[in-house]
This record gives sequence, structure tokens and C-alpha cells, in this order.
Amino acid sequence: MTSVRNLSAVTKEGPENLAEEPSPRHTRGMRLRRLPLALAAGSALLLSACAGDAELDTLEPRGPEAETIDNLIDPLFLISFVVFFIILGLSAGVAIKNRVKGEYEDDDWPTQTHGNAKAEWAWTAVPFFGMAFIGVLTVFAVIDLNSEEANAYAVEVDGETMQWEPHVVVVGHQWWWEYRYYFDGFDVDAFLDEDHANPAKHLPPADIVTSGQMIIPAGQEIELSITSRDVIHSHWIPALNGKRDAVPGRIHPWKLEADAPGYYFGQCTEFCGLSHARMRMQTIAMNDSDFAEWVDQQTTPATLSDEDAAFIAALRAGDNPSPANSVQQGLVNIRQLCSACHLVEGVNHFDDVPEDSVDNIYKEANVGVSLRAGAAPNLTHFASRSTFAGGIFNLYNEDGSLNRNKLEAWLRNPAALKANDADNLQGMPNLGLSEDQIDDIVAALETFGTRPSATVIAETFAE
Amino acid sequence: MAIIENPLELEAGDEVAQVAEKPLGVLTRPQGSTGWQSWLFTVDHKRIGIMYGVFAMFFFLIGGLEALAIRLQLAVPNGKILSPETYNQVFTMHGVTMIFLVIMPLAAAFANYLLPLQLGARDVAFPRMNALSLWVFVAGGFFLCSSLFIGGWFENVPNGGWFNYAPNSGTLFSPTKGIDFYAVGLQILGIASLVSAINLIVTCLNMRAEGMTLMKMPVLTWMLLVVQFLLLFALPVITVALFLLMFDRLWGANFFNVEMGADPLLWQHLFWIFGHPEVYILILPSFGIISEVIPVFSRKPIFGYSFMVASGIAIGFLGWGVWAHHMFVSGLGPISVAAFSVSTMFIAVPTGVKILNWVATMWGGRIQLTTAMLFAIGVVSMFTIGGLSGVTHSVAAADTQQTDTYYIVAHFHYVIFGGALLGIFSGFYFWWPKMFGYKLNEKWGKWNFWLQIVGFNLTFGPMHILGLQGMSRRIDSYDPGYGFELWNMVSSIGAFVIFTGVAIFFVNIYVSQKQAKHLPPVGPDPWDARSLEWMTASPTPEHNFDEEIVVEYQDHFWHQKWAEEEDGRVVRIAYAEDIAHDGSATDVHLPSPSYWPLVLASGLPFIGYGIIYNYWLCAIGGFLTLGAIFGWIFEHPDDPDAAHGHHDDHGDDGDSDHGTPDSDTVDTDADDAELVTASTDAGEASNG
Repeated sequence: MTSVRNLSAVTKEGPENLAEEPSPRHTRGMRLRRLPLALAAGSALLLSACAGDAELDTLEPRGPEAETIDNLIDPLFLISFVVFFIILGLSAGVAIKNRVKGEYEDDDWPTQTHGNAKAEWAWTAVPFFGMAFIGVLTVFAVIDLNSEEANAYAVEVDGETMQWEPHVVVVGHQWWWEYRYYFDGFDVDAFLDEDHANPAKHLPPADIVTSGQMIIPAGQEIELSITSRDVIHSHWIPALNGKRDAVPGRIHPWKLEADAPGYYFGQCTEFCGLSHARMRMQTIAMNDSDFAEWVDQQTTPATLSDEDAAFIAALRAGDNPSPANSVQQGLVNIRQLCSACHLVEGVNHFDDVPEDSVDNIYKEANVGVSLRAGAAPNLTHFASRSTFAGGIFNLYNEDGSLNRNKLEAWLRNPAALKANDADNLQGMPNLGLSEDQIDDIVAALETFGTRPSATVIAETFAE
Repeated sequence: MAIIENPLELEAGDEVAQVAEKPLGVLTRPQGSTGWQSWLFTVDHKRIGIMYGVFAMFFFLIGGLEALAIRLQLAVPNGKILSPETYNQVFTMHGVTMIFLVIMPLAAAFANYLLPLQLGARDVAFPRMNALSLWVFVAGGFFLCSSLFIGGWFENVPNGGWFNYAPNSGTLFSPTKGIDFYAVGLQILGIASLVSAINLIVTCLNMRAEGMTLMKMPVLTWMLLVVQFLLLFALPVITVALFLLMFDRLWGANFFNVEMGADPLLWQHLFWIFGHPEVYILILPSFGIISEVIPVFSRKPIFGYSFMVASGIAIGFLGWGVWAHHMFVSGLGPISVAAFSVSTMFIAVPTGVKILNWVATMWGGRIQLTTAMLFAIGVVSMFTIGGLSGVTHSVAAADTQQTDTYYIVAHFHYVIFGGALLGIFSGFYFWWPKMFGYKLNEKWGKWNFWLQIVGFNLTFGPMHILGLQGMSRRIDSYDPGYGFELWNMVSSIGAFVIFTGVAIFFVNIYVSQKQAKHLPPVGPDPWDARSLEWMTASPTPEHNFDEEIVVEYQDHFWHQKWAEEEDGRVVRIAYAEDIAHDGSATDVHLPSPSYWPLVLASGLPFIGYGIIYNYWLCAIGGFLTLGAIFGWIFEHPDDPDAAHGHHDDHGDDGDSDHGTPDSDTVDTDADDAELVTASTDAGEASNG
């Protein structure tokens, strides 16, 4: 927004300046000199106008970090436009003005200037000092973007209030993002001292594990610790800050902040293989009460009805109960078919069992060696997100109903919707599910978590 | 050592000279200057230059078709022309092809053809090595492109981008053979560039005509010299990186395996320490070309020659201290980021000097808007856009928004297409009469220029907007609703306009060649130009110059035609036709053609395929390569039966001083010198 305002303000100046010209003292040269500014402003307007309704626009900052960058880049764009039009004007203008048609005559020689040391030193020095000035501003901006603000944010987990230094661990996977919240703090340095070759595979259990969508409180600076489990990705929410690469084996600090509640689009920007184009994410900033409610929902196991919970308990006890309805059949299917990769707290994963229990496949798998184990989105609160499959499909239709067609198609053959190489452990395999199995799984998935608000669902649609 | 010594000993005794002609069954050197053999086995720098150009233009068509496929795919949201896997392969091959198989060899074409001529030399320092660079480049190029169909159509094509970041380039994530082709192919191409770099550096430093001090060399020659030094130092870095990659992929070396504790940023550092100087390797030749073209069509000497040279050298130097600006978001610490950000900004200073000096050259000039000049002015203005967008992302904070978006794609196309390629086209139009004896048609040329410049801006201009709108690079498709539709469509239309422009260039060659039959010969100097290559007949005779030139001035040839009066007036003192060499000299000793460069180069792809598929092929490749080295060493310096009459020539040379101690041997019989000098050294070493 700011950028658009700034640029259009300048644009207004352009034509006015041109209009001031009638005074006879003004020569053609004067007019030409004003021209670049007008052209520059015009182009800048064009640029920002075109960028007006883009979801990933880099020129519409919505948070202080993005603002810092924008404040630096806007004047620079303007200077660049002016310089360009001066050079274009000079080279094209000279070429047209001094043009000779036809062959050269023998006496067709201009003054033979071999150079002008003063002029040349001048146009060495001016850019030098100009660049030095921009350099100083840049250094300050870089320091600013890499600084950390100490802030504490009260979060209530299981009735216990915790002082959370807002911080999210971001893990890139082929081709989706995982967000992990540790409300009692996550000491990155101490964790790195454990010296795991690929730290992303050894992250401790978190209070909240979600994927595709990072939920943050608005107006708070959120520290990010970005890493990757496989190849290099890059995490980027343009409205909130620039990007930072997720490099396996390394944990990179970064941060972002949203001024106001809202829905901010993002896209993986480091080429990460086959489905790089389809690796997206969104950040949803909430006001304090919404965020508190979200935390409350997410820190509980999957929201099951009493009958379904009893059914799961019977399954765990090995009683082989027969499913009473589609949801219960779906729970059976998920435990049988999806547990190799996906975790659903309260369905295939429990707090009350030993680490090496079959039910705790996840805790075990997390330190495993295979690429796939533990490397699929946590589905505990699947229905609480508004996108799925790596942030690329909307989970709900505009009228708020479940986007059943897409979800079923996804289960039917994931690779048809999003290119993958499941044979090479990259992406979700085609399990050859029957239509009944798909219906049951969808029925169960729909019960996992509280639906997002109507506003969030509406904002999910890119326009 | 002993092998080298033998010929020396044999030559010592007259009676054994007969044996030396064909030691161990080594073939007699090929002869003749007509027919296909005269091209395959040539060591003539001009023919080698032309062949570099022809092969590069062939690859240009392949790279261009890849570009069109990309633009077709992205013209509308959710494009279905290419599958994601194919798209990744195509954008990878487009980048690799255009950089390594088009721009670099096109620059090599001009370097080979023009550098010896501009220096007033007979040939390059090591003519056979020159042929070797060409054929190794061709071998590497075809090896790389063969990945398109070997093992199935688009089955084993490199798919990791030209930057090929680890660990995505590992076998775990990219199990096809594609990246093996990348690693081995670039390795082969690196040999070609490295050999050529050494050759041209020696040529520049040792083989200049008498009186041509370094600061009298034309700006093009200077820029090419800087480029060769950049190649000489940059290529070993990528060579190391490619070896690490190859060992990782083929023999499990774990250099980039994170699970074994590797840091994938190692690849990025190595790649960009090479990759950034590479950018200047691509652009500086074009800077040199337009520094020749603009003065001629402005009728003024280059403005600030020494600043032009110094800024070129400065760009070359600074280019080594900025590589990490490709890695601003890779997770370097803030101090590294700030330092590389500031160092990058200062590259703008020498670059700005160049641009303003070109403008100042035109300032007050008498400008003829030939096609060559139009392309040159195109470079000045279009490269400026690329330079300025470069400044906007040298600002590291801003780069965190811009990097890996289409803004970057726009930027480097304005640099590489708008800067390098337009400059090369300027060079085509300018030197075409020198190379082939006829001018390219100006009318078609202008269509060529305007279509290309309009198409270029249509294609890449909107990418600035797309990038700032947040469109990521290297995505095979995009969804509707993100605001990308309009400008992608414009961009795709532009790509076809470029294609038409380039097609017209080829039409122009055809038309001009036909027309030339009905036109008078162009003469040695059709543009009233300034440097030494115009001081001999067009097309350049095989021996370049009839007699050696003694250089007195920078722009020596111009000063032979024109004099500056006291009052600044320029008056004619001679006509080019009268002072230029007519190419009629006979009895000029020239290095004989050789089979071995071609044979040696042909072994390399076999080794490459062998490493990837079956080690037995390495044996065949090794046999060819080692055999060729053997033949090369034993090759008689000259065919004894050839009637060059080189004794006269040697006699003349003895009297003239080139300013370099070895010049008499080096410049008339460089090919001999290569061997004689080597054997002498070896002999001395073993004696001592």
C-alpha cells in the first residue's frame, strides 16, 4: 500500500512539472531534462498498478520487516528509472541528433575527442559515493532484519499459562512445509550441540505440529528457525518479510511480523525438484483471542466424539470392534493405511504409551533413517486448515462446504494432482484405495479439528 | 621426458632426418586448404573461429527452441505443454545451453577470429591447441545434448537447474542419469575453455606486432584478454566442484550428503566462485565488440581508452569478490551478507564508467545507424536496464524479496541477452564482410534488429513486473488468481517475436550471400574502421597479413588513412585499398593442419559415456585420447613435402624485432615453436 501511495504521489508531480514549462527562458534541454522523471514516475506507476492485486506482491508490505525492505527499495527503483531514462535518452537522443544518412564523406569528421579525464573521474566518483550511500543504508537494513526483539507472549496450554517468546520451527519437506510450536521455548543452540547430521529428523516433540499454514498472533515479532529435511527450500511470505533458505543440516534464524490479522500467501522459492511449483504455504495472523482459541484447539488430541474415542480405545486393546459408521471405518483405514507416514494424535499416536510402542510409530520414525518415515504432514487437526497437499488446494468451497471432490481425487491418485515420485519416497503414493475406503477416510478426516472461520475460508481464494 | 627429447637428438644428425618424418608410423600431416578435410583438420584460427560460430548458432537454435517450449508452457495458467519433470529438464538445458554452448563459444568465435588479427599476428600461439579447444567444445556440447535422447527421449536430461544445487543434485533426489551428463559434460566443456584461455593469453602477451604495446591493443582484445584470465582462474573452481559432484553421484563420495554431515552450502560457494566471474566472462566480450563498433560509426576514437581498459580490468577483479550475492538468502551471517552486498554495489562503478564512455564516444560524433551500430546502441541501453536492476538486488535486504523470482530472470536476461547477445549480433554485422567478403543486407538487418529488440523487451520487460508480483522462478506452472496471467502471455508472445527476429538473421545470411554475387567486392575496409584486421583483404587471407605491421599508434590502421591537423581537422592521407594488404603474398610459412586435435577430442565423450554407463567405453575413449596425445607429440612439426618455402620467411623474421625474445619462432611457426621450445626445455632440464 505504502509503495503505491508513494509512487503515485510522484507521478502527480511529473505532468505538473511538464506543465510549468511555457516560460521562454526554458530551452528544449530543460524540457528534456524533466522528461526522464515523468517517464520514470509513469513507469513506476505502471509497475505498481500492475502489481496491485497480486497475492504474492513484494511491493505491498504488511509488516515491519517487509516495510523496512520496501522503504529501501522504493527510492532505489525511482533512482534506477531516472538513470535509465537519462542513459536511454542520451544514447538514443545523440544517435538521432547526430545521425548521418548515407555514406560518410571525406570531410565528414567531428572533433576528435580522445577523452576527458575530469569528466571520467567525475562519473567514476559520483556512482562511487552514490553506491557508498546506498551501501550504508543497506547495512543498516541488514542489521535490522537480522536483529531479534525480546518479547514475551502469554499462551495458555492445558490451563497453564506460559510466557512464549513467539517462535516457530519451520521445516521444509518435498513438497510441503511443517510448522512446529514449542511454547516452553526451543533452544536452538543447545539442540545444535547435539550434533545431528540432519537436525530436521531429530526435532523434539512439539506442542503443536501443523503444516501448510503457519498461524501467528498479529502485531508480534515471530522468530523463525528454518531448516529442511531433504533438499534446499526457501520460505517466503512476501507481504511479511523476504525469504530465507531452508537448508538441510542447518537451522537458519529469520523472523516475520504481521501488522494486522490477515491471510498472507507464500511460495517455496528455491528450486526443490519435481513439484517445486506446487509447494506453497500461507501465514494467517490472528488477533489475540482467536490465536488463544486456536492454540487451545491444536494442543488437544484429535477431536473425537465419545463413541469414536471408545471405538479407538477398543481398537488399541485389540478387541477388533466392528465399525458402526463411516467415520469409524475411516479411523480403521487411517490406522491401517496412513500410519506409515501420517500422525494423528489420539488415533494412531498417544502420549500414554512407551516410546517404542507400535502406537508411537511417529516418535520412533522421527529419528529413523528412511526419507519417508515421519516426513508427512501431521493430520491431527487436518480440518482446521483451509488448504491441503502442500498449501495448494483449498479444503473448503466458497460456501464453506468441504471441497470433497478435490480431497477424494487426492486420495485416489495424489500424483495426478501434484507431480511426485512416490517410488523414490518423494510425495504421497497412490495406495489404490477403493471408493468406499476413500469415502470413509474423508468422513474421518472431516472430524479432525475445528473448521477455520468463514473469513479465513473466504481469504483462501486467490483472486 | 625421454619421448620429447628424441626428436631433438634425431634432428641433430642430418642423416637421420628421414627417420624423423614418420616416427613409429605416425601419419603424415593432412594438407590442402579446400574441401571438408581442410575444415576438420585445420589449425587456422579464422576457420576455427568460424566453426565456433557455426556450432554455437546450432546450439543457439536448440536453446531457443527450449526457450519457446518454456514460454508456451507458461503462456497460460496451469500449462500442460510440458510435464513438470520435462519442464525442469528443459529450463535446465536452456540455461546450460545458452551459457556454455552459445554465449561462451560465440565469444570464442570472435576471440579466435579477431584476436590474432587485431594484434597483427599470423595465428594464435598454439594453433593445434586452438583446434583442440574447438573440438573439445563440440564434443562436450554434443555430449551434453545427447542427454536429450540417450536412454529414451527426455529420460536422462539434467534437471537440477544450471546452478544444480546440492543436495537436490544427489542420486537420492535425482536418480536419473541427467545430472551425470551435466557433471561430465561441463567438465569436458571446461577443458575446451581452459585450453583456449591459456592459448589466447599467450597469444596476447607474446605475439603482438612490433610496436603494439598493451596500451595500444584494441579494447576488444583487452576485454578478451581479461575474459581469458577470468576463465583461467574460474574454471578450476567449477572443475573441482564438478569432480566432487561426480564422485558423489557415481562412487558415493558423500561430499554433499547431509546425512553424512556434509554442508550443502559448499556446492553453492564453489559454484558461485566460478559462476559470478562467469557472468563477466559472458558480458565482457560484448563490451569489447561494441567498443569497436561505436567509434567506427561515430567517427570518433573511443572516449577514454585507458578508462575503458581499466574499468574492464576492474570489473574482472571485483568479479571475484562478490560471489555470495547469489546466496543472500542461503543463511549466511549478517556480516557476510552486508560485506558482499556492499562489494557488489561497487561493480556498478566501473560498469557505469563504461556506459557513460560509450555515450561520450557517440556524443558529438557523426553517427551512421548501420545494423551493427543499432545493435551496439541496443547494448548500451538494454544493458543499462540489466545493470540497474542488478543494483536493486545488490541491496541485500531488497534481494530477499527479489531473489529466485522472475525479477531475477528479467535481470539476467537483460544482461545476457540485452548485453552479451545483442553485442554479438552487432559483431556479426560488423565483421561479416571481413570474415566472408560480403556485407549482410542492411534492410533485412534492420528488421532483424527491431524485431529482436522489441521481442526482447516484450519477453523480458514484463518479467520485472511478474517478479515483483511474486512469481517464483523455475516453477513449471502457476495457478490463476495470482495476477500472473497477463504478463506471462505478453512475455510468451514476445518470445515468438524474438524467434522471428532471429529467423530473419538467418534469412539475411542467405539473401546477402546471393546478392553478393552481383555486388562489387567489399574491399578490405568497408566501414572505414580503425583496427588492424581491416588492413588486410576480405575475406582474410589464410596468412592474415602479407608483411608484418609495425604499429605506431593505438588505432594504427586509422592513422595510416587519416591525419589530424593542428586545427583538429581530419584529412585523408591514404585510401584503405592502397595501404591494406591484398593477400597476394606467397611463400608464407603456416602451421600444417593436424588430425590429432579432432581425434583427441573425440575420445572424451567416450570416456564420459563410459563413466556413466560402462567402464569399457572409457577404454575406447582412453585409447583415442592417449593415442592422439602420442600422435600429437610425434607429429612432425611440418610436412616435409609441403612447398611452403618457409626458409625465406624465417630469414626475414630474424631481422625484425617483435619485442619478445622468441617472436621469430613463435609467430611464423607457432606450431613448431610449441614443440621445439618444449623439447629444448626438456633437453636442458635433463642435461642440467
